[in-house]
Amino acid sequence: MGASEWQIVGFTFGMALLATALIFPFGVVLAWFLARKTWPGKSIVETLVALPLVMPPVATGLILLKVLGRRGPVGEFLYKHLDWDIVFTWRAVVAAMAVMSFPLLVRGSRIAFEAVSPRLEQVATTLGASPLRVFLTITFPLAIRGIVAGSLLAFARALGEFGATILVAGNIPGKTTTLSVSIYSDIQLGHDSDAFRLLAVSVILAFAAVWISEWLFKRRTT
Amino acid sequence: MSITFKDVRLRLGGLALELNLTLDQNITALFGPSGAGKTTVLELVAGLRVPDSGVIELDGASLTDVAGGLFVPARKRAIGYVPQDLALFPHLSVRQNIDYGAKESASVRPKVSREKLCQVLEIEPLQDRMPRSLSGGEKQRVAFARALLASPLLLLLDEPLASLDQSLKDRILPYLERIREEFAIPIIYVTHSPAEVRTLCDDVAVLREGKCVAHGEPQALFIETDERVYRWKG
Amino acid sequence: MISQLIKVSACAILAIVTSAATLRAGELQVFAAASLTDALKEIAPAYEDASGNKLQFNFAGSNTLTRQIQEGAPADIFISADEAKMDGLQKAGLVLEDSRRSLLSNTLVVVIGANSTLKLDSPQELTQPAIKRIALADPKGVPAGVYAQQYLETVGLWDALKDRVVPTENVRAALAAVEAGNADAGIVYKTDAGISMQVNIAYEVPADKGPAISCPVAVVKGSRDSAAALAFLKYLQSEAAVTVFKKYGFGIHQ
Repeated sequence: MGASEWQIVGFTFGMALLATALIFPFGVVLAWFLARKTWPGKSIVETLVALPLVMPPVATGLILLKVLGRRGPVGEFLYKHLDWDIVFTWRAVVAAMAVMSFPLLVRGSRIAFEAVSPRLEQVATTLGASPLRVFLTITFPLAIRGIVAGSLLAFARALGEFGATILVAGNIPGKTTTLSVSIYSDIQLGHDSDAFRLLAVSVILAFAAVWISEWLFKRRTT
Repeated sequence: MSITFKDVRLRLGGLALELNLTLDQNITALFGPSGAGKTTVLELVAGLRVPDSGVIELDGASLTDVAGGLFVPARKRAIGYVPQDLALFPHLSVRQNIDYGAKESASVRPKVSREKLCQVLEIEPLQDRMPRSLSGGEKQRVAFARALLASPLLLLLDEPLASLDQSLKDRILPYLERIREEFAIPIIYVTHSPAEVRTLCDDVAVLREGKCVAHGEPQALFIETDERVYRWKG
Repeated sequence: MISQLIKVSACAILAIVTSAATLRAGELQVFAAASLTDALKEIAPAYEDASGNKLQFNFAGSNTLTRQIQEGAPADIFISADEAKMDGLQKAGLVLEDSRRSLLSNTLVVVIGANSTLKLDSPQELTQPAIKRIALADPKGVPAGVYAQQYLETVGLWDALKDRVVPTENVRAALAAVEAGNADAGIVYKTDAGISMQVNIAYEVPADKGPAISCPVAVVKGSRDSAAALAFLKYLQSEAAVTVFKKYGFGIHQ
């Protein structure tokens, strides 16, 4: 494995980490609302959150391309006011990863919150705790294992993200080339042994992430 | 201290609750079969549930007034609540459980002394243990201590002895008596055991299918059939 | 990650299997470089009427098509955007040597968005700071990108510009990037620029500075109906086809 290949692995890892960190606060809070509250239109929110999970990734990528491109609603705003280019930069990589792995984080966290007995929260309330204190001292600590497991799964998904990424970030060596995109283009160019080396790395990373996540999910019930 | 229910109505699943009564004794029992709505009444008093209509007052001040749009949230009511499953925080030690409500209490009562509380309930040696390592009786006492250290104006106990075997019941009952004597905090006590009503309570409200069908002194309402077995005469 | 690979492979397998399954007598699979999309689509109906054969097209970057043929995809005819890809297949014995012809030539142009206000009359002006991103078909393998890199190397600008290059899947994707405004300029074939209303040609690469672009065609060895394939190949050199190619801006090899 050469230096450029390690760069690709490191870049992909770093971008996936950043994407997971960005969606974490929103995902956890949204998961709590989905677990504990109801409101008109809740099912629409649930469906929207689940969409990236079931839509073809390239379809999601196309939507991101239109929205984040220089002429798109979000992209134009950011380009004009912050001089930020999103499409074809590392920012697009993070955006694609964030969108695609968001549903997994929310799903795992929601299950974790639903497993915390509401009675515990009720008693905490009668003892004078504000809703924020109840969340920070009771709900969140008891749900943490499931939340971490869900985050790991989201991270693994971000690592492997391909369809949306290649559409919206392209394949710019050293700048936006991720692990999976690199495997794809190696195959295209006939560099099979390079492709297989990177394949081995992605298998190891994915295996580790999912294995730890499963272990955490199981231990949650003890 | 008195709790007043004025025309409180609630439909919940198959239950149709309808209450019009005042509880103003030291220890009042809420007696009735399961499904009668006893736990729901506690939730209404604690502020964990909103009725469909009616007014709930504590010493004349409204806690819940549906028509008037008033609902004092549970955390501001200073009403202690020990649910049937105790709900000890599994990730916190006994000490942390007990101290949870102590600081932020909304109560205006004189503060309960932690030392005295732990002495009375005999839980001093348990402070650093985790809830899952405690016996049934120990958990029970820790749950009482946690609710009491917040110096509540009123304590709600949901079938505190129900899941204990007879010998344990006999051992915990004295603690409840001690709480009544040492801390003088009014208690509403849900139970389906006539024996506990007779032994512990000054007042009993009998609930059946969401309505209060009798309210008065245990001696008047419960007759002794034979030794240590009481039966409600209704 | 594994699931992604499984998905991609499953789709590829499915595509190959279903395309093989739908092959009937008289149907030709034509694998052609993306730059030939519009011209071939216009030529097709007349050929289908005249011969009674149906044409199924697969347009992509020539390197993708080469790879697919190497993996055994059921192509009858391959039209590449450069000789190098065809050489590779010929060496591997995957095309009928006698059928190979150099069919078309093309020119490179530099394009900018139709609403762009950039001044771009010479290659040196590509280095202006306002041009942050230049879209090219991937120079590592797609012919249009290889040609573009050759050109930029010839005029000594490759080193200065290579960090601004956004490589795309094929030449049409590079065009699309300029159309959408996600790239400030692009280098594509003149024939591509011709079909787009949303780009303007900033300037055309002169023949003496640009690389020699040559599109060869050949019958693929695994073809099930090489006679029909050869007939189509011949048709591509006929008066009717040549007229269409010229209309789109292709040059013709005689």
